[in-house]
Amino acid sequence: MAQVPVPVEERLFSLVLALLATETGLTKSEILSTVQGYRQRFSKGGDNANLERQFERDKDDIRDLGVPLETLDSPGEIGNNQTLRYRIPKGAYELPRDVVFTPDETALLGLAAMVWREGSLSGESRRALLKLRSLGVTADEPVIGYAPRVRLRDPAFEPLDAAIQKQVRVRFSYLKPGEERATDRDVIPLALVQYQGRWHLSAEEADGDTKLFLLRRIVGPITTGKAAPDRPGDHMAAAVAGLEQVWERQVAELEVEPGSDTATRLANRRGAVVNGDHATVHFVDVNILADELAGAGPEVRVISPSDLREAVVSRLKKVAADHG
Amino acid sequence: MANAPKAQPLQARDKLAFLLSLVPYLVDHDRVTVAEAAEHFKVPADQIRDAVNLIAVSGLPGDTAAYQHDDLFDIDWDAFENDDEIVLTNRVAIDDSPRFSAREAAALIAGLQYLSALPENADRASISSLMGKLSRGTSGEPAQVGVEALDTRESVAPTLALIRDSVEKGVQLELDYLSSRGDFERRRVDALRVESIDADWYLRGWCHLREAVRTFRLDRISNAEITDTPIEHRAADVKLPETLFEGSPDDLEVVIDVAPSAMTLLADYIPDGARTDDRGDRIRTTVRVSHYHGLKRLIASMPGVVTVVAPPEARVAVAEWAAEAVARYDA
Repeated sequence: MAQVPVPVEERLFSLVLALLATETGLTKSEILSTVQGYRQRFSKGGDNANLERQFERDKDDIRDLGVPLETLDSPGEIGNNQTLRYRIPKGAYELPRDVVFTPDETALLGLAAMVWREGSLSGESRRALLKLRSLGVTADEPVIGYAPRVRLRDPAFEPLDAAIQKQVRVRFSYLKPGEERATDRDVIPLALVQYQGRWHLSAEEADGDTKLFLLRRIVGPITTGKAAPDRPGDHMAAAVAGLEQVWERQVAELEVEPGSDTATRLANRRGAVVNGDHATVHFVDVNILADELAGAGPEVRVISPSDLREAVVSRLKKVAADHG
Repeated sequence: MANAPKAQPLQARDKLAFLLSLVPYLVDHDRVTVAEAAEHFKVPADQIRDAVNLIAVSGLPGDTAAYQHDDLFDIDWDAFENDDEIVLTNRVAIDDSPRFSAREAAALIAGLQYLSALPENADRASISSLMGKLSRGTSGEPAQVGVEALDTRESVAPTLALIRDSVEKGVQLELDYLSSRGDFERRRVDALRVESIDADWYLRGWCHLREAVRTFRLDRISNAEITDTPIEHRAADVKLPETLFEGSPDDLEVVIDVAPSAMTLLADYIPDGARTDDRGDRIRTTVRVSHYHGLKRLIASMPGVVTVVAPPEARVAVAEWAAEAVARYDA
């Protein structure tokens, strides 16, 4: 009798249903011999190694969707893989009853998902939207259309994001500005944060210090290493707080040409004060600001700090020489 | 072909997420048409029909492990086949919507943070309550990826609020715009849409001065105000070009040598189909710019990694720009 293969989504759906419906859990052999999509391929008393591997992959896929698939030891047989029981507790699976979204919240969340149209978070935001729509709330029509987008163009983003999820160490070469050669780093990656339009990696170095790395200064490939120790905590918030402190502390004093392109754009910058031909701006990274100010050419002159001044002058000299 | 099977789990995961989302929606709606469900989920009607066909034959193995009728979902087949309506008549195992995965919630929370400059997002208390709800609706540890957009919140939020106001009132905006050639002009604009790319925000609107759709960078706008003049063009009536910036026949083509690491930073200026040639540690390619006013700023902001090769006037424009700037420090 020729069998029509059961589609993958039917097998996964049937597995979720079966595990949601059981209070006490099902053993692996119960699952493989009875659940739609497995049972057709189950060989009673035979070798089911392929099917078992399939089950392992399916569990990962289901957990990736945020489905809390649990394992329970059978009483008196702790650690016995054959009697391990699987289930999905309903309370941990279902959205809590008090989590409801209004039509304007639903609209805002739709926009939030739209931000990630490209890159490794696009699948997640697409699936989050499905779950949101599952609640049946119709989103408010916005007054004006928005099309927000965060790009993930740094090639280092995806491998680092994957390494944080898998909790493994990473190695990469990092080129600090002003240095001739990139140095090798071996770190525990903790969080990825976009701050002022640039992606930063927060990571723990071998000496135990947490450092921030700009993704665009990572050169070459990222290699993943061994499993990394657990580092609980809100690393994103810590990274942002650290960046904010630096931003707050560092101020550049500038002379700007009133009415120029540069004066207009500086006036629209957070925390910048433009007063006639005098301006102050906060900054995090002296080299990034120096690049920007070099672009402004004669419309700006750095008064202080001196390292910024020198960085801008040497950039301008380089540009002049390269085009002379 | 070796990679082909790898793509499959992703597709199946999306389909599973859709099934797990559709069931509670159907449970809550006693009778819904395929068209209504498709509209709500923003998917093709056939995707709804396929999913309903699958749900209707799915269920639990049951005591006999035989997937008996009572252990399966069921629908009113007449209504489905004759009227394209979905009515669940039996359901199993699922009542409510699934929780968000940690990364799904992280994507939404990071998106909300990124959008913190929007007027719709201005009420910080309700946003933090919304983020709190997302966190409570999540299974597992929060994922460590996010965006902090304090800078756009503080700098572009007032202009965004004004833009939204003008659309709500149906009136034109008036603003000083610093063009890419460096000229200030007072413009009147019918706002059509707001777009953003990373930290940069843009208004797309009908420009009454140019009598055409134009893109305005928010950080080049100053002295914006709302007028009493009604708008003449509504978003629904204007077809916006796909890309933010349309090339113009007057654009200048400039040949550059660029370090490979800096290519992504210039991607927006490199026209589709431009030639790229390897030249040792540099790549030779072409950028398109509207004016040297913008080119010299762009090139000077990437010292050591980009050099203009041709035309000679472009090299001179960049060299003079940098030399004039150096001279300010010698004075």
